[in-house]
This record gives sequence, C-alpha cells and structure tokens, in this order.
Amino acid sequence: MTVSRLRSAGAPDPDEFGRLDRLLDDDPADLYENAPMGYLSAVPDGRIVKVNRTFCGWIGRSADEVLGVRFQDLLSMGGRVYYETHLVPLLRMQGAVREIALDLVRADGTALACLANAVELRDDDGAPLLIRATLFEATARRRYERELLAAQQVAEESELRSLTLQQVVSDLAAAVSVEDVASVIVERSCEALLARGAALVLVEADPHDPEALPDLRPVRAEGLPENLLQELRDAAGSRLAVELTRGVRSIALTEQLRADQPSLSAALAAAALSELVIVPVTADGRGLGVLVLALGNAQGDLISLDEPGGSRELTTADVNLLWTIGRQAGQAVERARLHEQTARQAGRAAFLLEAARLLAEAADVTETADRLAGLVVTRLADLCVVDLDTEEGLIRPAVRHRDPARARVVDELRSRHLPRRSARHPSARALLSGGTEWVRTVDDEFLRAVAVDDEHLEAARALDLAAVVAVPLTAEGRHLGVLTVATDRERGPFTVADVEVVEQLALQLGLVVARAQRFDLAVRTSHALQDNLLPPAPPALEGLGIAVRYLAATRGVDVGGDFYDVIRMPGGEIGLAVGDVVGHDITAAATMGQLRSVYRALLADGPAPGAVIERLQTGWPLLGLQRMATALFATLDPASGRLRIASAGHPPPVLLVGGEASFLPVPPSRMLGAPPSVADEWIGVLPEGASLVLFTDGLVESRSADIDEGFALLLAAVASAGTSDPGALCDHLLAELTGPHRADDIALLVLTRV
Amino acid sequence: MTPWSGRGAQTRPASSLRVQRVGNVLQRNCVRLGGTPDGRPMMFAHGFGCDQEMWRFVVPAFEDDHRIVLFDHVGAGHSDLSAYDHAAYDSLRRYADDVVEICRELDLRDVVFVGHSVSAMIGVLALQSAPEHFGALVMIGPSPRYVDDGDYTGGFSRTDIAGLLDALDANHLGWSAQMAPVIMGVPDHPERAAELTNSFCRTDPDITRHFARVTFLSDNRADLAGVDVPTLVLQCSEDVIALEVVGRYVHEHIPGSTFTQLAATGHCPHLSAPEETAAAIRAFLPG
Repeated sequence: MTVSRLRSAGAPDPDEFGRLDRLLDDDPADLYENAPMGYLSAVPDGRIVKVNRTFCGWIGRSADEVLGVRFQDLLSMGGRVYYETHLVPLLRMQGAVREIALDLVRADGTALACLANAVELRDDDGAPLLIRATLFEATARRRYERELLAAQQVAEESELRSLTLQQVVSDLAAAVSVEDVASVIVERSCEALLARGAALVLVEADPHDPEALPDLRPVRAEGLPENLLQELRDAAGSRLAVELTRGVRSIALTEQLRADQPSLSAALAAAALSELVIVPVTADGRGLGVLVLALGNAQGDLISLDEPGGSRELTTADVNLLWTIGRQAGQAVERARLHEQTARQAGRAAFLLEAARLLAEAADVTETADRLAGLVVTRLADLCVVDLDTEEGLIRPAVRHRDPARARVVDELRSRHLPRRSARHPSARALLSGGTEWVRTVDDEFLRAVAVDDEHLEAARALDLAAVVAVPLTAEGRHLGVLTVATDRERGPFTVADVEVVEQLALQLGLVVARAQRFDLAVRTSHALQDNLLPPAPPALEGLGIAVRYLAATRGVDVGGDFYDVIRMPGGEIGLAVGDVVGHDITAAATMGQLRSVYRALLADGPAPGAVIERLQTGWPLLGLQRMATALFATLDPASGRLRIASAGHPPPVLLVGGEASFLPVPPSRMLGAPPSVADEWIGVLPEGASLVLFTDGLVESRSADIDEGFALLLAAVASAGTSDPGALCDHLLAELTGPHRADDIALLVLTRV
Repeated sequence: MTPWSGRGAQTRPASSLRVQRVGNVLQRNCVRLGGTPDGRPMMFAHGFGCDQEMWRFVVPAFEDDHRIVLFDHVGAGHSDLSAYDHAAYDSLRRYADDVVEICRELDLRDVVFVGHSVSAMIGVLALQSAPEHFGALVMIGPSPRYVDDGDYTGGFSRTDIAGLLDALDANHLGWSAQMAPVIMGVPDHPERAAELTNSFCRTDPDITRHFARVTFLSDNRADLAGVDVPTLVLQCSEDVIALEVVGRYVHEHIPGSTFTQLAATGHCPHLSAPEETAAAIRAFLPG
C-alpha cells in the first residue's frame, strides 16, 4: 500500500497525507513490538530467542522472563502434548503449520486461547535453524468454535437421543409381554447411556395385605450382580413408596454413600460400578417400578477419566431422555399387563368351562372328583385332593399329582393322613370355618404343625410344596367336603385369580356332591317305600289263575306311581284294581300307597266299582292327595264269572276269549282327583277259559309314541300269545311290547278263569 | 523434498523404495517396504499424532543393511479408514494384533521393532502374543501408563488428559471447517502457499480422539516384565509426554534392557535429532 495510491483516490487535504506518511514511515521495530499479534522466534528445541511486546503483554510476563523459556512450556498441558505430537512433526515435515489452536498459560495461571502459525527456517542441508511463529488471540473465535462444537455435539446427541427414543417406541410397539417390554427397555437404555448393566424392576403389591411392603420383582436384569438389587431394595426400605415417586436420580459411589449404605456400597464396588441411575417407570402418574442403570468406572481396559470417587453429572438431556423412556416403559408395561390379564382371564374361563362340562357329565361322585382333580393338576396346581364329609366320616375320593413319579407319596396321602386329625391343617380349617384357607407360603414350620406323625411329615416334605389353598364344598348351607390344591416350588405361589378359580370349582363340585347326595337319599327312600307300598303277591284263588308284573321305569328312582291289587272281598267276590298315579317319583309312590290303602278301606262295605270311583273322587280333597290318578276297579265272582268294571280315566282291559283279543268297552269316567261325577260300570260275565288283561299305559307307550298304535300292538300281542296261562301271557306281552329302557312304570295283571 | 514425501497414488515414490500393497492386511495398514530385501527386517511404528512419514529422516540410516517395513496404524495416515471400528480399536491389543498380522503376512523373522511413543508399548504387546517374529525392540519415548497412579508418576493427571482431548477438538474443528488461510503468507517460499495447509498427519477427528483416549488411558505396566528380547529404551531430554522417570521405570521393568539418554529434546527425537537417534539405535544393534 502506498501513499500515491491513496492520493489518487482523491482525498482533499494534503496535510492529511503528510500525517499518514509519518505514521506509515514508523519504525519497523515498533511495528514488530506493538503489532496486533504475537511474534516470536525460537530455536528448534522450542527455546524462545525473540519475542514481541504484544505477546509478552498477553501472557503478563516481561520479555526477560520469556526469553530462553521453551515455547511449549508456556502452553497448557493439552497444548504441550499437541505441540509435541502434531506441531513439531508437521513443522519438520512440511516446514510450516497454520492455525493450530493452542492455549497459552498467563502468569496468573489463566488460559489465553490462541491460533498459531509457524514456519521453520532451514539451512542449505534442510536442517532446522529457527522457528518463527505468529499468534493471534482467538478467545472470541475459540469461544465461537467451542459453541459450534458444543452445538454439533448437542445436535449429534439430540439426534442420538431421538433415534434411541424412536427405537424404544417402535420396539415397544411389538412387545406383547411384560418380559418383552423389559427386554427392550433394558437393552435400549443400556445402549443410550453406555451403561454397564440395567434392570427393570416392577413393584408388586400384595392385594390381600395393603399394609405389607410391596415386593420388587426384577423382570429383566443385565450386567447387574444379583445381590445389588436386593441391596437397593433394602436401602429403600420402608420409604420405597416415597422413593418411587421421585424423579430420575443418581446414586454415586461416594464416601458419603460408603458411610450411609455400607452394604450397597460394597456391592457396587465389588461389581466395579461407580454409579447407579434410578429412573421411575410410571403410567399416568402411578409409579410401577424403576429402571436401574449401572455405570462403570471405565470402558474396557482403559483408565477412567473420572477422578476416583468422583461422579459425572447426568446432563439435562440425559435426564429428560431417561424420564421419557421411563414413561414409555410404564405405558408399555400397563398395556402388556392388560393384555396378559385378558389372556389369563380367557384361559381361566376356558378352564372353568371345561370343568363345568366335566361336572355336568357327573355320574358318580368319586369318578367326578377324580376327573376334576386330574384336570386341576394339568392346569392350575400340582396337587389336588378332594375330601368328602359323609355319614361314614371323612372319605377321600380323589388325590392327584401333576408328576406321576410322586404317585407313591400321593397314594400314602390317599390311604392315610386324613386332615381332620390336625386342627391346623388347612383342609380341616376350611371344613370347620366354611371359608377359603390360603397358605401363601409353605415352610417347614407349617409342615411340622400340620403333620400327624413323622411319616406324614416326610411325605409332605417330599412334595416340596410352595402354597396351599383349601376351599370347602358348600351347598344349601351345609359343608359337604373340601377341595384342597397345592403348588410346588417349581410352579410357585398362587395368584388371587388362581384362588378365585379354585373357589369356582369348589362351588360347582359342591353342587354336584349335594345333588348326588340328594339322589342317593331319594334312591334309598324309594326302595324302602317300594318295599312297603307294592302289594304282596296275589292270593291263590280257586277257579282263577292270576299273574302280576311290576316294572319300574329304568330312569330315576326304582319305584313309581303304578299299582295293582287283588283281594278276596267279604262277600266272596274278588276285588281287582290297576292304577297309575301321575309322576314317577317319591310323591307318586306315596300317593299310590295312600290310594291303595284308602281303596282297601272302602272295600270293607263291598261297594260296586263305580261307587269306589265316586267315593274316591268325592274324598280326594279330604285325603290331601297331591297327584291325580287313573284307575280301573273291578269285582269278579269266581264262581259265576260275573264281572263289574268301572274306569276312572284308565285304559280298558283286554279280553281274550278263544284266541281272540278285544278291549272290554268300559265306559270311562273322570280321573281320580277330578271333580266328582257318576261312574258307569261295564257289567257282564267272564267266560270260562277267558283271560282278562289289566295294564297301565307304560305297556302300550313303551314301543310306540302313538297310543292307538300301542293299543293295536297290544291286541295283536295278546291274540298271538297262544296261551291263556296268566304267567306265560304276562311274559309274552312284556317281551313283545317292552324294550330294555322304559320311560314309564308298567303294572300288568292277567287273570284267567279256569 | 525427501524421498519419503511422496504418498501412495498422489506422488510417485522415490526410486529406492518399492511400494508393495499385497493382500488386505498390507493395504489396510498402508504397508510400504524398502531397504535391502535380504537384510534384517526393521519395522518402524509411528506414535500418536502422525503417521509413517515421521520416520523419513531416520530410515535412510538403515536402508543399506535392513529390510525396511513402514506402516500406518489403522485410522492414521493412508490406512484404510473403513477398517476402523471404535469397538475393536478400544485397546492397544488390537493395534498389536495388526502388527502381528503384518509380520505374518510378510513372513518376517527376527524383526527389529522400532516403536515411537505409544507404539513402543504396542511392540511389547505384539511381542507378547507372537514372539516368533521379533528379535529386538527399540522403544522411543515409551510410557506404560501416562496417568499418575499412587506412587507411580506417569506425568499426567486426568484433568491434563481431558485438556488434551479438548485441544484435539479445538484443532480438528479448525481443520474440518476449512478456515481460509488468509492470515499470513509464507515469506520464504510463497510458491508453496498451497502446501501450507496441514497436509500431513491428517486423520478423522473422531478416530484421533479415540486413539488419544486409548493411548493416554492405557495401563500396560504389567506387560513389561514379559519382554525377553534385547530392548533399547531411548529417552529424550525434557520430554513432557514421556518423562525421564517413566523411561527409567520401563528400563527397570524390562529385564536386561538398555537405557540410552539422548541429548535431543522434546518427544520426537527421530524428527528433531535423527542422526543422534539413528546412531543410538545403530549402537544397540549387533554388528
């Protein structure tokens, strides 16, 4: 730059140029000393041999203090290493370097950021002679660069964080179970924080005991020693609920921690961990658990840059990321739990349906209990025992174990050791209390208390039980027995839902037992009644052959409402009766018994058959009989064959004369139990050799649903019998007209006048 | 220009050297061979911050009677950067494995391994895993551990290392940002202005930073005792990176080793005092 060029630019005042000239003609030495940059020259080993005032001013030392000092000794430690590893080699190899960032250390110890350019002067052989360097104060620029760098790092970290979050969200979308969720969270958060290990720990409160400390369950743990989580839980202690509501925080292995939590500190130190980061796992503000991240002292074999005992601060961005991951995890856990709950409910519903089907098919209580126990040990428990309280005492119709190898122990339990002997046995307690007994944790103390002797104790120990549930079988307010199920340690404890299923099963089984017991009672009662109510064998009567058959319906109780009667009346006539009380149960049988007694009582006056019907109809309300009935009443004079028959809504008898069968046209009147009416009689003579067949409708309805067709079959069967022998005729008719199964009772009476 | 300034495909190499890039290993580490093919193999390993170029002043002293093997560590110089993997190269052992692979590929025996700075320890580890290749070890400015540890003086605090990593960041930003070189010309050689950018020893900033961590945060003190070949420890004067006390520690812990104190100052005697360095090595080698 020259003055003449400035002049040609047309500046107006010549004096201005004079001053400028004087300034520009300034002493070159002054320019060197006070230039707006630092100048220095050094010999090849770095010792400074010339330096300008600007440089000295920057670093707060006089030129005398600087000369002879090695340039690298004026640098920060990082700068010195950089000088040795980069600047020196570059100068030697390419003769110059530019824009090397270095920090000078001022006399007061503060750093001054500089950019250095340097050239190496060499002799003719290429050997280094001198280093000339210029330094620019670059505080602002370095600040700018640092900001750029920081921004770049922030951007990279931000990108990394959003990538991590994206991966977490997309992985969680595919997670079905809580275990899946835990796996995603542990893996991804480990990656994001370069953690040595991580664990997802969920709180599991005891729904039956809200006062109890909630349990912590590590769903998935990677790279964490087993004892560490337990130490953490112990450290949280009774403040666990409070701890769970806190935000992301760090537990560093400091002297303070060593003093406050020695065992936790020892566990951390043993695992070479320096810090735990606790991240709350929440859903809709509810704390579900925590994500624990373990940070180590160093990566791989390298020495940690962290001072021993120190801890690095989590950045706000890290904290925010972890907080978000915690919430994502919480929502995913909730979703997975809902899913699992739905699946479990569906499973339970299917199980209960299967059990209900099995119980509905119940034929025999012992078989039913055994099959139910078999079902229980495939799905719900490892051991299932059914005890029933009967008139003969406690019986044990079913003992099943999942593992056939334990059959011997189970057989022992079946044959001995019935629970009533021990008042502490959950089965006995359930039977006594009428409520569910749930032993959540089986320990040896429990077994000793329950066992009746050493053998029993050994058998119980061999089952390795974990939990027991006993539910009484209750119906109609009575405790009929007890259903006892147990798990072993492999399967683990029962859940509340499991116990509810057992209660459902016990309810259903109780109903089956009650029904069976009622049925049993009815059967025994019916047999007793039948023995008493059915008429005795007919008397032998001169001039008459009589045979009777009584067949109860094959379903239900072995006695019904059909009856017959043959009796010699005071006047020498024979009284005959066949009737059918509506229904086939105890009431029908009882009604039949009463009806037959009343009928016999009436016979004392020797009334005509029509009068019998009229009297019964009139007296029916007074008798208090609950069922209606149909009946045929007849009187027969054995000597003359004179026959009188009246029908109260009953099918007419069949007359067999000379191989021809026909219905006797008895005029029907109303059924017994209907309002009284006049009962007409058929009056005639039964020829010698003729047979009269009296029957109830079970005989004609057995083979055909159509009653007319049934009557036709009956006539044909009577006609085709080819015999008038009463017994043979009875057997022939039954053979022709009935099968092995009968829906109704059959009473059959055949009388032949010989 | 010295013969060694030509690089790979950019410039033809000097006549005395044949560029051989045979096989993946040799290509990966940009292995270059020279000297006397029948001579005793002499392998030069550069330290942190530069590449094989830094041996250019020393190598000529051995070309006449040694087979010269030069290479760049993966991540440095003209090595194959795609072969670099942060996870794999997070320990000096991986660098040592590379050295062994080169020896195996070239079927080298009785190698004189000359390692500068961190490569001195890489040589110790390579010798440990494949002793069959090595005959002698020359350690220039070695340090088995830079960070002080109790009674052991390495010369650096953790804060110092953090400062170094910071300095690396500061410089790499400047380089990568391609700041315009407008501040000053080159008075002596204006025609070489184009070369004034720091064209040597350029590496990817991430790799440099990672290599710095591995270099300055390793602890290989326990490996020294296993060295059982003739070993020379070359100690510079006033070396802030490898203190004399550290050099003495290395000497004391390698049984039968030779300790030579150089007059040369700084950390790179092969650059600042190549003749003295070469002479010290020559004096150590037999014959």
